[in-house]
Amino acid sequence: MSKILCSVATRGRYHSTLPLVLNAIINQTRLPDKLVIFDDNDEPQDMRNEMIYQYFFQILNSKNIAWEWAYAEKKGQHHIHQRANSMGYDLVWRVDDDAIPEPNVLENLIKHFDVGVGAVGGSVLTPPYLPDTSAVSGTIDNIDSEPNIQWGKIERVKQVEHLHCTFLYRAGVYDYNLGLSRVAHREETLFTYGLHRKKYQILVVPDAVTWHMKNPQGGIRSETKREMYEHDEQIFRNVLKYKDHTIVVLNCGLGDHIVFSHVLPAVRNPLVFTCYPEVIQGRPIAEAQQLFGGIDIWNIYKKMDQWKWQGSLEDAYRKLYL
Amino acid sequence: MIIIAPYAQKLRNGKQNPKNYPYWEELIELIDEPIVQVGVTGEKQLVSDFRTDLPISALRELLWQCRTWIGVDSFFQHLGWDEGIKGVVLWGPSDPLIYGHPENINLLKGREHLAKNQFLWWEATEHKNERFLKPSEVLEYLKV
Repeated sequence: MSKILCSVATRGRYHSTLPLVLNAIINQTRLPDKLVIFDDNDEPQDMRNEMIYQYFFQILNSKNIAWEWAYAEKKGQHHIHQRANSMGYDLVWRVDDDAIPEPNVLENLIKHFDVGVGAVGGSVLTPPYLPDTSAVSGTIDNIDSEPNIQWGKIERVKQVEHLHCTFLYRAGVYDYNLGLSRVAHREETLFTYGLHRKKYQILVVPDAVTWHMKNPQGGIRSETKREMYEHDEQIFRNVLKYKDHTIVVLNCGLGDHIVFSHVLPAVRNPLVFTCYPEVIQGRPIAEAQQLFGGIDIWNIYKKMDQWKWQGSLEDAYRKLYL
Repeated sequence: MIIIAPYAQKLRNGKQNPKNYPYWEELIELIDEPIVQVGVTGEKQLVSDFRTDLPISALRELLWQCRTWIGVDSFFQHLGWDEGIKGVVLWGPSDPLIYGHPENINLLKGREHLAKNQFLWWEATEHKNERFLKPSEVLEYLKV
């Protein structure tokens, strides 16, 4: 059975919506194996001294759910999600600190998590705005012209290309873009679209409703600097602009380039960024950083470490790019 | 003629690269044919014919002039493989099953000498002479 981590990133909501969210998680009909709360508050408190939290921790212990209160790096929620993504669990259920899942959400998300599925999400409702999303495609091409499919009631299982807010995903197969600013605008869209690009199915499913309170106070995205949003939006637009290419970033040694030259002919429509253009022609690495923010998702050594790789370097490149 | 490519890339912390073979002088003493050393400026010269900072294209041409080549786990072992010129690679802490090519002769003293994590920067790994085969054990493979 898949090991499930439930991850909650929180900021400024100790005494408002976070307790409601934790209560909802504790009362799921299918419980996670572990709950981790990433505390991103500027002045974090020890919540073990708070009565209501003491109750939560006791219930978690009684239900044999491991839990951890982890202090975050204050670099934005994408860094938090990447930590959860790398904690060794099969699946991660990410829940916002103002998004309250109904009791059957995790049970119904996991029902659809077959081989080949990368992420599953349900409705994320914010009344009174409840658009009819039955005709929404959920494709990345339509992201500017239609509401997010999760904003409405989902009546049937549908394959889409991206999700937002809260969903269950396959851990360790794709990384969050750590080049985004602290506001991490579009982080979940980029992440789930990345899973889609890796040929995993992205699904929305019925009977998995989360009530998104959109608490105006606090929140992991409480930064308001416009430049940060613009920076992240530009990265997102660049990903869309080059979506028909396979982005290849060779921020590595000369020998690695030589090995990769044997893989390159099989890469579909490559757009190459290179350190050694005399071996493999391409654009400078700095340009990749400028266009896409973080380039760690193409770091072959990090990938091999993550995969506990024992095969050849050439085969690792094939896994990353083919 | 034999090409030697004795050194892996310099480390940023100034320490010796743990992949560098420690017995080059002794091995060279045992080789009875002309040797060309390739490398970069600043590396220790081991033979009279030391060619530094050659472009990749010149190294490829040179490979076609040699009988064989011998080196460590550096870009040169990939270049020899890429050109289809068989050579000898002297392995220490890095794993030939990951970074090597079966088309080369990969001489590893033992897997117990491999670094535990193969994917960290090599600055984190200590250089140890005992990881490597002795020159007398290497010589027979150069005659092939």
